[in-house]
Amino acid sequence: MVTLTIDNQSITVPKGTTVLDAAEKLGIVVPHFCYHEALGAVGACRLCAVYIETEQSKGVQMSCLVEAAEGMVVNTLEPTAVELRQHVIEWLMTNHPHDCPVCDEGGECQLQDMTIAGGQSIRRYRGKKRTYSNQELGPFIEQEMNRCIQCYRCVRTYRDYFGGTDFGVMGSRNRVFFGRFEPGRLESPFSGNLADVCPTGVFTDKTYRFKSRYWDLQEAESICPHCSLGCATIPGGRYRELQRVRSGTSKEVNGHFICDRGRFGYGYVNHPDRLRVPRINGEECDRHEALAAINDKIEKLGGEAVGFLGSSRTALETNAMIKSWAEQSGSKSVCFECHPQRDNAARSWVALRGDRGRSLADIRRSDFILLLGSDPLNEAPMLAAAIRQAESSGSQVAVIDARPVKLPFKAAHLVVRPEKLSTIIRALKSGAFDNFERHEQLFFEGVLKSIKKAERPILVGGGDLLQAEGVAALCELMAQLPEAGGDFVHLSGPNSYGAAMLSGAAPDFETILDDIITGKIRALVCVESDPFADYPDRKRLQEALSKLEFLVVADYINGPAAAKADIFLPTAAPAESAGTYINCEGRMQRFKPVLKPGEPLRITGDGGHPPRRFSHETPGDQPRSAAEFIANLVGQPVTINDLRQQIAADDDRFSGLDQPEQGMLCRANGELPTTVNREDVPGKGDDLLHLLPVADLFGSGPLLSYCSALDAVRSAPCVVLSESDAASIGVANGENVSLQTAEGKLAVEVRIDAKALPGLVLIPQTGADAFLPGGVMIPCSIRKNGARDE
Amino acid sequence: MKHPQLLFKNRIPGETVFFDGYRKSGGYEGLEKTIKSMSPAEVTELVKASGLCGRGGAGFPTGTKWSFFPSDQPGPKYLVCNCDEMEPGTYKDGVLLRTDPHQLIEGMIITAYALQTPEAYVFIRYAYEDCAQNLERAVAEAKEAGYLGKDILGSGFSCEIHVHRSAGRYICGEETALLSGLEGRRPNPRLKPPFPAVRGLFDRPTTVNNVETLANIQHIVTGGADWFKSLALTEEGAGTKLFGLSGHLEKTECFELPLGVTLDEIVNEHGGGVRGGKKFKACLPGGASTPYLAANHLDVPLDFTAITRAGSRLGTAGVTVFDEETCMVAVTLNLIRFFARESCGWCTPCRDGLPYVAWLLEQFEQGEATEEHLENLRGQFRNIAGRSFCALAEGAMGPVEGLFNCFEEELVDHIKKGRCPFK
Repeated sequence: MVTLTIDNQSITVPKGTTVLDAAEKLGIVVPHFCYHEALGAVGACRLCAVYIETEQSKGVQMSCLVEAAEGMVVNTLEPTAVELRQHVIEWLMTNHPHDCPVCDEGGECQLQDMTIAGGQSIRRYRGKKRTYSNQELGPFIEQEMNRCIQCYRCVRTYRDYFGGTDFGVMGSRNRVFFGRFEPGRLESPFSGNLADVCPTGVFTDKTYRFKSRYWDLQEAESICPHCSLGCATIPGGRYRELQRVRSGTSKEVNGHFICDRGRFGYGYVNHPDRLRVPRINGEECDRHEALAAINDKIEKLGGEAVGFLGSSRTALETNAMIKSWAEQSGSKSVCFECHPQRDNAARSWVALRGDRGRSLADIRRSDFILLLGSDPLNEAPMLAAAIRQAESSGSQVAVIDARPVKLPFKAAHLVVRPEKLSTIIRALKSGAFDNFERHEQLFFEGVLKSIKKAERPILVGGGDLLQAEGVAALCELMAQLPEAGGDFVHLSGPNSYGAAMLSGAAPDFETILDDIITGKIRALVCVESDPFADYPDRKRLQEALSKLEFLVVADYINGPAAAKADIFLPTAAPAESAGTYINCEGRMQRFKPVLKPGEPLRITGDGGHPPRRFSHETPGDQPRSAAEFIANLVGQPVTINDLRQQIAADDDRFSGLDQPEQGMLCRANGELPTTVNREDVPGKGDDLLHLLPVADLFGSGPLLSYCSALDAVRSAPCVVLSESDAASIGVANGENVSLQTAEGKLAVEVRIDAKALPGLVLIPQTGADAFLPGGVMIPCSIRKNGARDE
Repeated sequence: MKHPQLLFKNRIPGETVFFDGYRKSGGYEGLEKTIKSMSPAEVTELVKASGLCGRGGAGFPTGTKWSFFPSDQPGPKYLVCNCDEMEPGTYKDGVLLRTDPHQLIEGMIITAYALQTPEAYVFIRYAYEDCAQNLERAVAEAKEAGYLGKDILGSGFSCEIHVHRSAGRYICGEETALLSGLEGRRPNPRLKPPFPAVRGLFDRPTTVNNVETLANIQHIVTGGADWFKSLALTEEGAGTKLFGLSGHLEKTECFELPLGVTLDEIVNEHGGGVRGGKKFKACLPGGASTPYLAANHLDVPLDFTAITRAGSRLGTAGVTVFDEETCMVAVTLNLIRFFARESCGWCTPCRDGLPYVAWLLEQFEQGEATEEHLENLRGQFRNIAGRSFCALAEGAMGPVEGLFNCFEEELVDHIKKGRCPFK
């Protein structure tokens, strides 16, 4: 620790802290542009000048580049430093257009703030301004280069931090241009961060363009619902419409950035087809009517005949309410994930992980990372960003996966059949590789050698491909890692971990389906869960559904279950309610309501400016948080805080849930699910093709297909084939084929990948056309289009 | 006056001396001597003792620079020769490479031996294609003769020299920008520290030296440090210097003269006096980034130290002379436009400050300047000089500094007359 004096105030900071950061701790904001906590100091803008009065580095210095030293005396108001800051602002403003009134950045523009802070309020330069032609950069990011002040943050984010290659800086002098070599969609899945890091309005969120002023936005701290990492976000809305999402800051999780899936995947909240009024048999009705009808039916059938289904995208509080509702009605059939394999993988992770679970921040600092069945860029994009930080500071990365995993950095890659993953992990533990091929043995030996050499190795697993067995094996392998090493397994939903904790050793959805088929269960209540979208075996589900007497669906998306429901209750989306998700490392994180539910106000500009009719009701305000609905049903009016206290009191693993601090880690439990794996990998014959649905950046997950902003970037449906399989079928890259499984038939395009395994057909879940929820492998056949059916 | 010739001793205008001619004049004897009888540390000590200062512009003592180099550190290390000669008024390296390219090769091999760097690069601007070809031929000849490549003269020391043609920008002459460029990146300067000696090319220890600096090395080895020091006419100087003359002179050629030669001798003897019998008004003594010297400075001896007392720098010793009819505001504007155009665009004072200064000088030239513009110009100078990321903008302020030092009344005259008094 060193103690220094800044503007006559003394502060003690850790060694290595910059003068700029030390000043900020004292509440003294030294104006700056190019410095960014995540990107570091580069000394380009020259705005953060201060005067250092002590001998060492005496004089005007850039506070972002000077380390605080013992006894250092800093003066931020010394006239020559102030004069330099004024000049920097004057220089930057020579070319900046005075278009603040029409600029989307207005109000949250660092250049506006720093111009005020810099104290240069008079324009002396009367020369011409430099102008640029802008580029079309795709559906997410709008470019207005004339506003650029050349802080280089964009290129440092896009290239240096995220490893993007299609964006850079071109030209020189005061004509440097930040963009692509030619116009076109930004390829990086992290491109949206340009809007956050740009200190002015060069790169802005295109989906939010001309919608709101920053000061008119309702914003609240939130957690991204699109994968299990739990990145901090700040959604913003106005006029009952969620209009954008920007990155929040969470040191241990996402740092300062989020991925494009999280940023632009917000449209489901405003979806025009969203059902906002309760329905009985398709007829709109009053909320109380619907609730009464549900209560009546459950009473009539008896609690034992009712199954309750929560989900991994539902808040912990809601799932806990479902649990107590089930208990109160006398039902033992309650489950929080309708995809059994995913459920069991999550439960396995929660039950078996030791106390060396690692965070994304740990991954960024790691020196060896082994990815087992994990495709970060598609499954949990910010994980890829975290690994890249480790890789660029010298960490090695090895990947063992069934997919041709693409990463924004260098990694050793071994492609194996997915069902072999557990065996491989166990072999890595025992060190016996006799049953493997030579190239596999060499790879494993290399991995073990790297693990041995590393100080902070981390095993990263993907729950989907590893499944319960693989996750268990990974936990065992972790025990052999050095003390500072650890593990990290990503799951499917934002609250998979919390759902698994609540489930404990309770039966899974398969058992509930069995009971429906045998008639033991006659009613099913689905709260923010949709087995028709997420359960992998559709035939079996259809069979069960035909036996079902009564289906209640409560949801904020209009999924396939909603259409089949006898009673439908519209619930509030995460952006409209408060709740807690537990991310895949067991971190409890709260999200807060941004908006109240309601039909978004649409200003068309053609004279139809609503509202023309006045009413004391807000149109479409009927959705309630699911927890609130259930509380009404079970007759206990509770607030979210009461509910949290109750959950924490009932189960000490959740202690801290009612505390206001964010991001507490909750303890794992020691219970393993009692289920048996129903199906092994079907049909092991060598000549059979197997279809493996794999995650897709903008296609996977239950919410993404309701986000219209992503329509433009969704990849076309395709199957990925190995070279040899493509040859034996007789198709070339880009040709259309007909894919046949027990689930149905699909016409898709073929992509041949040199890294794909023979016998394995990969189908990226690109959205509406992906007819499988993923997580299981099924036999399939592929026929060249035009070939005759057998 | 005739002065001893080292670098130009083989000079025949219009011709290039290659291996045979170079050997005949004693070439590669320095290398043989070094390899056979000196340890690497002894070479560094000798260069230190010789007082040789870098000829690329900054004038930093070469031996001292080498002594920072971790020559015993294992792993790759690099020697880089900076031949991105792009300072306006400077062309001496080009002349040297067109005259006697083997001097550079021999100097580089000895330096590589002193620093124990097995790889060396010559970073040469595209416009010097003929020089690059000369160097490639010299490299091939030296290799064939066993002076370059694996196990040089049976010593166990190996060295490879690569000639790299750059796309050529002024900023590439800045050593860290040069290294970025050599790596295939944007030639933006890098933050120092870490200095190139610690983390340079490909993040490995690297020393960057100018062509002329390296060409002097074998002369020091063969002649000794004391002899080399004694070549200069002043106590503080050491060795000779290539002076490239340009501007309003009768003879605009490159001469090898001892350090410490007076400006008067350069202008009136070697340069043949100001063109057309006009009066000497001012000169840039060391390239475009050095403050002007005026008529009252003609007796200043040109070595690295003495010239700083006169308020300027020796720089690259590219002497550009202006006659009495030259508007120094217009000269400065012309130079500032060059620097503004060559800014890499990294830091604000250089990227946006230099065009601002150019605009201010334009106001003077167009007769639209007021007292406020003069104050503004002073403020710009104060806040650009010493405040930029690398030395480019600092150098750009050299002429502005000279303008304030020697020709402030000319600025005032522009304001008073409401026009350029020289038009």
